[in-house]
Amino acid sequence: MSILLEFFQAFQYPFMQRAFVSAFVIGVVCSIIGVFVLLRGLIFLGQAIAHSAFAGAALAILLGIDPILTIIGFSVVSAVGIGYVNQKKLMNSEVIIGIVFAFFMALAILFIGLHGEYSSDINSILFGNILLVDLADMLLLIVFSFVILLIVFAIKKELYFMTFNSQQAQVSGVPVKFLSYLFLIAVSLTISVSLKAIGAILVFAMIVTPAAAAYQWTFKINTMIILSAIFGVFSAVFGLFFSYILDLPSGSTIVILITLIFVISFLASPKRRSAKKDLLECPFCKDYLPGPCDECDGDCDLGIPHTHEDDRIIISTKHLPDKEPTTHNHMEEETKQ
Amino acid sequence: MTSKEISKMNNSSVDSSNKPQKPIICIHDVVVAYQSNVAIFDINLDIYRNEFVGICGPNGSGKSTLLKSIIGAVDPLKGTVKILGEDILKKGNLHGLRKKFGYLPQMSEIDRNFPALVKDVVGMGLYSTVGLFRTLNKNDSERIDRALEIVELDQFKDRPIGHLSGGQQQKVMIARGIVNDPEILFLDEPTSALDFKVARNIMSLIRKIHEETELTIILVSHDIDFIRNNCSRAVCMNRRIVWEGNPKDKEFDEVINRVFLK
Ligand SMILES: Nc1ncnc2c1ncn2[C@@H]1O[C@H](COP(=O)(O)OP(=O)(O)O)[C@@H](O)[C@H]1O
Ligand SMILES: [Mg+2]
Repeated sequence: MSILLEFFQAFQYPFMQRAFVSAFVIGVVCSIIGVFVLLRGLIFLGQAIAHSAFAGAALAILLGIDPILTIIGFSVVSAVGIGYVNQKKLMNSEVIIGIVFAFFMALAILFIGLHGEYSSDINSILFGNILLVDLADMLLLIVFSFVILLIVFAIKKELYFMTFNSQQAQVSGVPVKFLSYLFLIAVSLTISVSLKAIGAILVFAMIVTPAAAAYQWTFKINTMIILSAIFGVFSAVFGLFFSYILDLPSGSTIVILITLIFVISFLASPKRRSAKKDLLECPFCKDYLPGPCDECDGDCDLGIPHTHEDDRIIISTKHLPDKEPTTHNHMEEETKQ
Repeated sequence: MTSKEISKMNNSSVDSSNKPQKPIICIHDVVVAYQSNVAIFDINLDIYRNEFVGICGPNGSGKSTLLKSIIGAVDPLKGTVKILGEDILKKGNLHGLRKKFGYLPQMSEIDRNFPALVKDVVGMGLYSTVGLFRTLNKNDSERIDRALEIVELDQFKDRPIGHLSGGQQQKVMIARGIVNDPEILFLDEPTSALDFKVARNIMSLIRKIHEETELTIILVSHDIDFIRNNCSRAVCMNRRIVWEGNPKDKEFDEVINRVFLK
């Protein structure tokens, strides 16, 4: 109880208020943009962006200037550069991402080396500290998050279509090229403004993991967005809470929490809940029937009694011995079981 | 015989009473190249309203490329494509024209767990009619229902798309292709990944759609029998148009034998 009290008492300090607001905003913006990063398969691209942002921060420390401009500059350049190479299909996207990733890490290490000393600034950008977010950082975060969310919701259905089938989206008149770049820039900005609170190494977890957890629960895109935001905010706010009362690094506490949520979601996922105990997947057909058969209203070509549950074909163990396929009627089967 | 003469012949046999129609699609001297590879060349083809054109040819003969050049998904090196009298290569025109056609690319696999319901996927066909920030409204969902009824999947509209069988998924794609009431429907090997029985099912659905609507359909398919029995015109490709005409002609079979079996 006294711990809780201590936490709430801390809210009288401006640093705690800022930390709370930042945690909330990062939780929302990262997790929502993360839904589309995940569905578009841009995971490694995002990781490369985060590391180039770190190189930008290292350069700013070396030059003694405000890091936000170099962070945004580096991350946008790397995102758009990789996006361009992918657009032109010049090489496999993993190759170019790997090269850019390593190059920006090399730059970061070079800048740190040139700086001579390993300052606490570098530490805070690499690992992040949400309690050190100052007023300017917080305002920047709020303004950028607002713009990013505005962009995402403006192009939400187009992004969704591109995610599902970009060729078809293009033919239907979605400006796929332009929106891909716009989206990459939005991802870069998200990473840039979240860097100080979460740290370059962990910021990407805030983007991928809530979305991956939400993915386990639903087949509806809007539900996935809402769930992802809830998971993101929950882990960011409670991460802040635990890191404060237990005196732990904030970024790492937040990421551990969201990973826990992911693991629970994965284990409890209705998408992979297996059939009931006495029922088995059909050993004959699961290989060649990806889902319900096409004409399963009446007779079915499967040749063995089975039921359809969601996505799987299930047959009772008592039917397993008769491997001789039989024709049957689904209506009869239901009454037997 | 030029392609134009054949088209006119075919057309006049369909409705001789009317005055000569203008072609709905006009392809003139088109060449498409990928990098330094010429994929198709010397393409001249006129397509008229309510025709059902079947395009066949060996793998790599440029069938998909031809479709993509008609709908403006690849830019030809040379030549012109006009749809409904408008040049699609002029940037401004294409956007409006896209609302008038539906297109099904060759089948691609759908992730089993992708967060999209059948009705969401069909709804994507209406996105071009809805502005930024806006979502589909009630009227749109009625159109989605109607399209799903046509492909006989109305009871599946709330199922995840990844849980449907390949044939059902392809029907959903057809529903999406027709949900915005297009004037022209392009289908690129809609049954290539399906087994024979399911393929037949899809093909008769396509025939039904052509019979019951005013739609002009351009179908790429390896199903020669289907083209012979259902299409009003066949086009045989091998990087250029080798032959076109009535698929019931004996000549069609000869050409098929020559192109496929040489
Ligand atoms: N995006 C592409 N880049 C380079 N070459 C391509 C591309 N698409 C198709 N091709 C080439 O163009 C030729 C025609 O391909 P395509 O139109 O797909 O034929 P089809 O659909 O008849 O099988 C093939 O030789 C193919 O390798
Ligand atoms: Mg093809």
